Amino acid sequence: MDMNEIKEIFFQECEEQLAELESGLLKLNDGDRDPETVNAVFRAVHSIKGGAGAFGLDDLVSFAHVFETTLDCVRSGKLEPGQDVLKVMLKSADVLADLVSASRDGGSVDESRTRGLVKELEALANGELPSASGHEAPKPAAKAASAAPQEETPKPTDESGFQPIPFSFDGFDDEEPVFEGSIYEVTFKPRRELYSKGNEAALLLRDLSRIGEMSIACDMDELPALDKMDPEASYFSWKISLKTNKGEDDIRTVFEFAEWDCDLEVKLAEEASTDEELPMIPVPFDLSILDDASAAEEEDKAVEPSAVEETAAAAVSAAKVATGIVKAADAAARVAEKKDAASSAAAAAQNNAAAAAAAAGQTIRVDLDRVDRLINLVGELVINQAMLSQSVIENDTNGTSSINMGLEELQQLTREIQDSVMAIRAQPVKPVFQRMSRIVREVADMVGKQIRLVTEGENTEVDKTVIDKLAEPLTHMIRNAVDHGIETPEKREAAGKNPEGTVKLSAKHRSGRILIELQDDGAGINRERVRQKAIDNDLIAADANLSDDEIDNLIFMPGFSTADKISDISGRGVGMDVVKRSIQALGGRISISSRPGHGSTFTMSLPLTLAVLDGMVVTVAGQTLVVPLTAIVETLQPEASAIHSFGANQRLISIRNSFCPLVDVGRILNFRAIQANPVDGVALLVESEGGGQRALMVDAIQGQRQVVIKSLEANYTHVPGIAAATILGDGRVALILDVDAVVAASRGQSLKPEMALKPEMSLAATG
Amino acid sequence: MAAKKAGPGSLKLSAVLDLNEASVLHGKLMSMRGSDLVIDASGVERVGVQCAQVLVAGVMAWKEDKKSFLVEKASDAFQKTMQLIGIDTDNLIAKEI
Repeated sequence: MDMNEIKEIFFQECEEQLAELESGLLKLNDGDRDPETVNAVFRAVHSIKGGAGAFGLDDLVSFAHVFETTLDCVRSGKLEPGQDVLKVMLKSADVLADLVSASRDGGSVDESRTRGLVKELEALANGELPSASGHEAPKPAAKAASAAPQEETPKPTDESGFQPIPFSFDGFDDEEPVFEGSIYEVTFKPRRELYSKGNEAALLLRDLSRIGEMSIACDMDELPALDKMDPEASYFSWKISLKTNKGEDDIRTVFEFAEWDCDLEVKLAEEASTDEELPMIPVPFDLSILDDASAAEEEDKAVEPSAVEETAAAAVSAAKVATGIVKAADAAARVAEKKDAASSAAAAAQNNAAAAAAAAGQTIRVDLDRVDRLINLVGELVINQAMLSQSVIENDTNGTSSINMGLEELQQLTREIQDSVMAIRAQPVKPVFQRMSRIVREVADMVGKQIRLVTEGENTEVDKTVIDKLAEPLTHMIRNAVDHGIETPEKREAAGKNPEGTVKLSAKHRSGRILIELQDDGAGINRERVRQKAIDNDLIAADANLSDDEIDNLIFMPGFSTADKISDISGRGVGMDVVKRSIQALGGRISISSRPGHGSTFTMSLPLTLAVLDGMVVTVAGQTLVVPLTAIVETLQPEASAIHSFGANQRLISIRNSFCPLVDVGRILNFRAIQANPVDGVALLVESEGGGQRALMVDAIQGQRQVVIKSLEANYTHVPGIAAATILGDGRVALILDVDAVVAASRGQSLKPEMALKPEMSLAATG
Repeated sequence: MAAKKAGPGSLKLSAVLDLNEASVLHGKLMSMRGSDLVIDASGVERVGVQCAQVLVAGVMAWKEDKKSFLVEKASDAFQKTMQLIGIDTDNLIAKEI
């Protein structure tokens, strides 16, 4: 594995850590005070810092370090994570994310923003509450007044404004008074992996010894004879008795990076006393070992500059406060001690990823290309299986039951394989939703509104392609909701609402599709203004009589914007039409409902996957077509009496006392020149965008089956009215109907290419 | 970083006894079995647990062979790490075994 690969893994893990960080902070923001949440947040930043140090990403390290210090204050209870504090933290998480992506992809970050936040974080760590102006630097006098011993050390300041920050050791003594002088029994058995990942048990034990008074017994029972041993295996284990005023968590923190490569047991000695197995040989301890070790680290040439600074800071504090240098020294030692710093950090990062993964079940990381190849192959398998069973049915007139049974089983198996493979691509929408919370924060900040994003159903799973394509339209809509939807705090208060607006983003599964709802509790759509705007922009006639619903849907028209002033955020007249088109390109639908004074709700319904589709196979003018099953409401055999002519060549069908326009699919697609007689065919009642129903007329229904979508664009060229193609069991190509495009065409609009699937948006499984 | 022979039946330990050194040290000890051995630990700056494992296994092997295994001139770092990881110095730095 070369350096770049390790680095790539590091960045992937950064993504995970950042997600963890953000969700933790949001939990805290919602009032969660679980220490584990704080720890998770701290760990995330700590791991990013650790890995970044190994790759010499100094900007990242320095910012993460300051961030971590402040988080440590929260962790130790010195800093109450109130709204103000969390606001700074969330912003810091955003900057950290920016720094990570700048480190990965190059580019720069907003230096002044970073510096401003560093100052705010430092101020928080020093016990100052965030100033009203936010970015104002704490006065030097105020800093001196806090008089931490480390203040006297020279502070190397680099461009990003990094200064080593004193860790708050003074808070440790009264941190957990309950454990004052408790004796812990620690059993530590490293595995081979611990060493092969570059960790060293001796160093962990040294770190442990710094927490308190330690006596240790080494268990050598497992050590084989010299000629039988593997010099790189792990045979020793330890039983340690540790007298400390720290809690169990602090002991576990020492093993943080090695936790997954060792068996670790930490318990209070009282509980442990019953199952004493090893005689304890107390080993007297002098702390001079530690001082030597720190000094050696300082001299180590291989140390990263920032690590040197940390070590220096740690050494100073070690002199002043003999204990409690665990964290600072831990990080420094980790970087300094290893000859191959990179691999150790990567290993550490891996450990943490393993930690994250273990919490959410075991996972493996697979290249997306491989999954796609598998999906394509399974698609081929499904087609092949269908062809096989068709030819068996055609040739085997005797109907040998064993073959038929075998085929049926094969069919079930392929279906199951296909479902399982699709499930691999399915991912929770959580990452996209999380990105939205940042957008809400930033936009709300810009426009001076107070907005809370509430998410629901983040774990709803949908195909990765859909997730990837979802981010852009969602961003647009969130911006719109924040900028236009939610009123200013003053207006809200005047209207008797909570000055803090709420934007709710939810996802759920609904009949084989994913339903994403974006709800705001703003003022709702100002229909009068929308209508006026549409008239001004020549989108509708001045005397047009439109229902509320139709007016609401006007905002999806191209070139429509109601914003009085064009802002950075939204209101450039592109937006909702683009949103609608991207959603349509995903095979989805979007609708809006709005209540004046109570807010608007956008509902998007998207297919779960873009690779397979349950379709109804129909015949139209001798052609075989597939109609997506999700679009079909019902099928019916029209009777002559139910068909009514309307206008020059329009026809309606009456269904349960309501009229529904009849759409002759064969005519629209130019399969035939004259209109077919509806009575000879079948009508498929479909739901089109905007909720209206249409009856699509086809000649006959062949059956219902799952088809593998093959992009027409990739293999041929775009055909208006056709979404994609598939291969049927008999090897013939069948076209998949783009229902919305056909319905739109029936309304007199020509079949425009953009109405259907765009080439780049086309379906995942291309043969 | 390989351990150097300081003469027949004697072995000078490398300065850094880390993961990489464990196999080297193991190989050296294996090749020196059957005769008395003096280990020179004066230049040791860092000891990893895996090298300590090899050394302890060495002590036991020599004991089995009824030969002497003597650690001489242990450096401070060597002694302190052994102490830290709970290896009774009598087990290892014994005068005569």
